[in-house]
Amino acid sequence: MRTELSKAVARAWQALGACGVWWTGEERLTIAREARAARHCALCRQRKAAAIPQAVVGSHTTATVLAPPAIEAIHRIVTDPGRLSEAWYKNIVATGLTEEAYIELLGVVAVTTAVDTFDRALGTPLRALPPAGAGQPNRRRPSGAKPGLGWMPMLAPEDVTADDAPLYTSGGRSGGNVHRALSLVPEAMMQFWDMFEPMYLHQSQMRDFGREYRAVSHPQIEMMAARVAVQNQCIY
Amino acid sequence: MDLLRRSGDHSGTDYGLDGIVDGNGGSGVGHEKELLAFVDATITGTAGEIAKARAAVESGLGREAVIDAAAVIAGFDAITRVADGTGIPLEPPKAEASADWRARLGIDDYWTAKV
Repeated sequence: MRTELSKAVARAWQALGACGVWWTGEERLTIAREARAARHCALCRQRKAAAIPQAVVGSHTTATVLAPPAIEAIHRIVTDPGRLSEAWYKNIVATGLTEEAYIELLGVVAVTTAVDTFDRALGTPLRALPPAGAGQPNRRRPSGAKPGLGWMPMLAPEDVTADDAPLYTSGGRSGGNVHRALSLVPEAMMQFWDMFEPMYLHQSQMRDFGREYRAVSHPQIEMMAARVAVQNQCIY
Repeated sequence: MDLLRRSGDHSGTDYGLDGIVDGNGGSGVGHEKELLAFVDATITGTAGEIAKARAAVESGLGREAVIDAAAVIAGFDAITRVADGTGIPLEPPKAEASADWRARLGIDDYWTAKV
């Protein structure tokens, strides 16, 4: 395996247990544990099969004691991401999960999903969760974050200040919409993209069609990416 | 899919998108059958189905391709959740450039499924 890839996956996995900006290390591991459990939730299976998921009432099969809005967010992100809506998100926030905590939770679910899917594809056992790190979240929200692009405020490249983590410049990232998605918590954005780019391609490689950087070609990579998006009903 | 089209523009190949959406193939991409089966098995299949699909990719493209393909599948299984969990829109130029084939392939219908 490419060293860059194995190191990136290992680093992202270890970071799950580190203290976050809005959740402690132990809480982040609890989110990861719940994300794994969501795949076996009977209510989520029934909702996935229903025309309107909210029409199916009941309780999630949980593995943790996270608050109900966090449980609902994790389960829907894991099991039915293509039908998430702004109304659903607003209800999550209205019932007690802050916007920043939601974004960091989403980042943890995304890393857990990526690493577990990687291991499942390779036929290797799901890895044990890392140990929890010490520390308390500093709950710092970037001052330049503004509403208007997605459902929650986001931090555009031109609004990054010296107090913010270098979420765009550190990876040569242009600041496209998908880069901005997790930017309300810059550290969460960087943890995700520092793992994602070695899995896929770095920005400078994406349109460099004259050279191949992986053991699969540009067209093969883009075909697989498109098929995953179709499977997950993702328009982006 | 936009980057697949651009890749085709570079090589002078007109890759078909329909078969990627409906799963029936015909895109013109090399080893399409093995790679699409690997995607589908990993996202929705059993461990046995994944193992069979993985073996087919390894037979056709080699071990390093299996690893890189697994990484692509894994990365996009996650980034689709990031995109769908934040409500980010397509950038206007991308939306404009893809409007015709998104409508033709039924991808715009994904919006109406959001509840």
